[in-house]
This record gives sequence, structure tokens and C-alpha cells, in this order.
Amino acid sequence: MLKEYFGVLLFAGVAAIIPLAVFAVSYLLSTKKDTPEKGLAYECGMDTRGETWVQFKSGYFLYALIFVVFDVETVFLYPWAVKFGQLGLFAFVEMLIFIAILLIGYWYAWKEQVFRWK
Amino acid sequence: MNFNLLSTEIATALFGSVLLILSLVTGKDARRGLGHATLAGLLVLLLITFTQYGINSGGFSGTWILDDYAVFMKQVFIIAAILVVFAGKSYVEDFTGNCNEFYVLMVFALLGMMGMASAGDLITLYVSLETMTISFYILVAYNLTSGKSAEAGLKYLILGALSSAVILYGMSLVYGAAGTTLFAKMPPVSVASPVLLLGAVMLVAGFGFKIAAVPFHMWSPDIYEGAPTPVTAFLAVASKAAGFAAMLRVFLGGTPVAPDNWLGIIAVLAAITMIIGNLVAIPQTGIKRMLAYSSIAQAGYILVGLMAADPAGVNGVLFYSMIYAVANVGAFAVVIAVERATGSDEIAVFGGLWQRQPLLASVMTVCLLSLAGIPPMAGFVGKFLLFSAIMDQGIYWPAFIGFVMSMISVYYYLRVALVIWRDEPKDPAPIAVESGMRLAVMAALAVTVVLGVYPAVLSDLSLAAAKSFFGM
Repeated sequence: MLKEYFGVLLFAGVAAIIPLAVFAVSYLLSTKKDTPEKGLAYECGMDTRGETWVQFKSGYFLYALIFVVFDVETVFLYPWAVKFGQLGLFAFVEMLIFIAILLIGYWYAWKEQVFRWK
Repeated sequence: MNFNLLSTEIATALFGSVLLILSLVTGKDARRGLGHATLAGLLVLLLITFTQYGINSGGFSGTWILDDYAVFMKQVFIIAAILVVFAGKSYVEDFTGNCNEFYVLMVFALLGMMGMASAGDLITLYVSLETMTISFYILVAYNLTSGKSAEAGLKYLILGALSSAVILYGMSLVYGAAGTTLFAKMPPVSVASPVLLLGAVMLVAGFGFKIAAVPFHMWSPDIYEGAPTPVTAFLAVASKAAGFAAMLRVFLGGTPVAPDNWLGIIAVLAAITMIIGNLVAIPQTGIKRMLAYSSIAQAGYILVGLMAADPAGVNGVLFYSMIYAVANVGAFAVVIAVERATGSDEIAVFGGLWQRQPLLASVMTVCLLSLAGIPPMAGFVGKFLLFSAIMDQGIYWPAFIGFVMSMISVYYYLRVALVIWRDEPKDPAPIAVESGMRLAVMAALAVTVVLGVYPAVLSDLSLAAAKSFFGM
């Protein structure tokens, strides 16, 4: 039985060699010229201004969190809506409970003034 | 679908939501009422669990198991929560800002623990585990004015996420090798493949983190010290018991590891946990750190019961979980009271406690003696059950290590008692004990003493629960 795992080992070995080979080839073939552009965090997008180690307002995360919750809700709502006819009353009540739980959370976030930008 | 199997969990989820709504509609000055509402709700939940004994069936395609074992474990969690709320109510009310979520999060943590005790497959287990752990991340960092609490919360978040990742990876390997997530359908031990073994080892490491077994214990002293003390009590007791409840389900419900390997890995964990936990507890000067190391050592004792892997061993685990929960929360309740009065958690501030508050002094002494396993306290019976289970199988060395280490533990437990009864108090002002705290410590005292003298009340129940776990 252990012999079967030799295939896995071989696979892992090849998998390790490929990225190393890619790096090696690009190292051999590339021209090496240092420009200030290359020192930036990304070669595309906007240049950074000032320090990059700044604190972000935690309000961003709270917004994002609430967004994700309702994003996920949609993921469940779509298949439910498509199969609504066959699922019947049980699934309907179940979905209502699910939405009610999310709404309690939304209410909580509202009360805690998550949506007020201070 | 038989929703009766889920009635405790549905009630808990409903209760948590109602509590959240209550905290939203009442003003911030209605905190006291919320604590009382939490207690009332938890007592109702406890009553509901009593109706669940004897059902012993599974449902929802095997992903949910409701046997007496699960019910017993749920009662351990609920009783721990009740004692913690009783003892910690005033402590929580002292917090600046909004303390309403505290109770809500505790109830949702409780919901997660219940799921862990009843999980019949890896996915239910993982979701329940995360419900519990995420609630605890917030609870540990709950004291916003304390830097230590924030640090503890962050540490717990990072290390907890790491351990969850290890568990998840282990689960994916087990699923890959076994082809099923159901514990009951895990392949028999004879066909255990290396992948399955690797997955099982990862599960042991992940759960080892949750129960704070050496060498996965590094997080616990820092986090126990930094967290608000009621949270520490709940974390040390209920979260650990939940970890054991889940571990038993995974490893005894459908053993993916061959018995010899299994015994070896758990035996080594149990041995080093008992030795290191007890030895490192000796030089501690802070009571919370000392209790943290002591709770590591306690996990080692309980692992011996897991190692036995038979009804007697599971009986020991169940009985000891309950005893440990009550005695440890009792000790932490005293720490909460003393910390509120003195603002410090050094062992030295317990000096002359018997002059300041004899009730707290006696409860602390009895609870520590029970943790040390001195007869006639209940802890002795618990250790007796755990060690006799493994000795009945003709394996003596874990019991030997357990005995020696218990003797060593007496030293550091009694050192606190010595400070309490021998030293003169620096500040002779008596410490006030309000009604909730009084109730909590007296309950802990009564249970610890009564079960030590007359353990059959609980051990009959736990033995029936242990038998139901093996389908007997």
C-alpha cells in the first residue's frame, strides 16, 4: 500500500521543481536594471504617498463585515428562489428565520452606530 | 426530521437572540436586569436538558447525535455558565461602556459547545467549534480599558485561528482518506492509511490546543491572565470540557487511528501534560497564572480517561469534567471577589483572607483541595475513576505519574491555602460578598463536598451517559 504513495511523492517533487525552474529561467533570461519604479510596492496602480504603515479607520471593516453578511445571504437566497416552487412551506419558514436572524444583527449594528461615519 | 433532538439548541439560539434584542430595546442602565434574565434563561435551559435523557438517537443523516453522553456534557457547560454568571455579574457590571453583549456572547459560546457535544460529523463539529471560539475571541478582549485584555484577545485570535486551521486541514485529510465526514462510518482500524493517520494526528494537535494539553498549552497562561476573570473561568472550564466532548466523539465515536498508535500518542500527551503543567505551576506568583497551569495539569488527568477508551474511562472523563467545572469555577469566583476588592491577582493579596471573609477563604481551600484530589473532596473520586479505568486494563504507569504529580500539585494548591490561613492581612477591611457571588461559592462548596462523600448521585448518571456513548 505504501508504494502507492510513491506517486504522491513524485508529484510533490515535480510540483516543487516547476516553480523553482521558472524562477531560475527568468533569473537567467531577464535583464537586470534597477529603476526607482521597481522599488514601489506594485508596478501598477497609484503611487503611494507618505508612510504606508498608517492606521485605517476601523469603520471600514465594520462596513465590510455588514456587507459580507448580506452578500452571503444572497448566495443562499438565489438557489432558494430558483427552487422555491418545489421546496414548499418548510423552506419558506426556514428562510424567514434565517433573514430574521440577520436582521437582528443588522439592528444591532444600527444601534451600535456602525453606519455613522465619525 | 425530529426537531426534539435539537430542542436544547433551538432554545439556546432563541434565548441568545432574545437577549440581544432585550439589550437593544432596554437602555444602558438596565444592565442588572439583563444579568438576571440570563440566569433565568440558563436555568430554563438546564431544565430542558433533563427532559432529553434517555432519547439516545441520532438524526439529520447522522450529523447529529443526542445520547445521554451529549446531554450530560451539555449540563456541564450550562452549570458552568450559570455559576460564572452568578459569580461574575458584578464584575461585568463594573466594566466601562456597554456590557450587554457579554451575556449574549456567553450564550452563543454555550450554543457552540452544545453542538460540539452532539456533533455526529466533522462539519457540524467544526461549525460548532467556531461558534464557540469566535464568541470567546470577543469575550477575552472584552475589557476595553485594559491593555492586557486586548493583548490576550489578539493572542487568542491568532493562535486560535492557527489551531482551527490545523483542525480543518486534519479534517480534510481524514475526509479524503475515509470518504465520509460521519464519525460512525469512519473505516475500521485495520485499514487505516497513512493519510488518515496524518489527519488524525493533526486533529489531536488542534484539539490539544483547545484543551491546552502540553505541548500546545503555551497560549493559555497569558490568555487566562489577561482575560476578564469570569471569562477566564468560563474558558478554563467549559471550553476545555467542550474540547474533550468533541475529542471523544472524534476518536472514540469512530476511531480513525489504530489502537496501538492511538494509545501511544494520547499517553505521551497525557504524561507530559501532567508533568509539565504541575511543575510549572509551582513557581507562579499570580493566582490566575497558577490556576492556568493547574488547569493544564487537569487536562492531563482527563486525557488518561480518554486513553482508557472504554465506558469506565468515559465515565471518568464525564464525572471529572463536572467536578472540575464546579471546583474550578468556585476557585475563580473567589479570585473574582478578591480581585474586585483589592484590584490585584497576586497570590500575596490572599494573605489573611480568613479574617477578611471566612466564607471565601473556606471555599477557596475546599476547591483547591478538590482540584488537588484530596479525599473527601469530589476531586479525589474523579481522579480515582480516571486512574482506575486505565489500571483495570493493566496499564499502571499513567496512574503512577498521575499519583506522583497529584502529590506535587498539593504543594502549590496548599501554598495558596497557607497564605490565606497563616499570613496577616495587609488590609484588614472585610470583603463584601453580594448575594449572587454568595450563591455561586456556596453551590461550588456544597457540590464539591457532597459529591466527595456521596459520589453515586453523579457517578450513576455519568456511567449511564458513558454507556450510551458506546451504544450500550
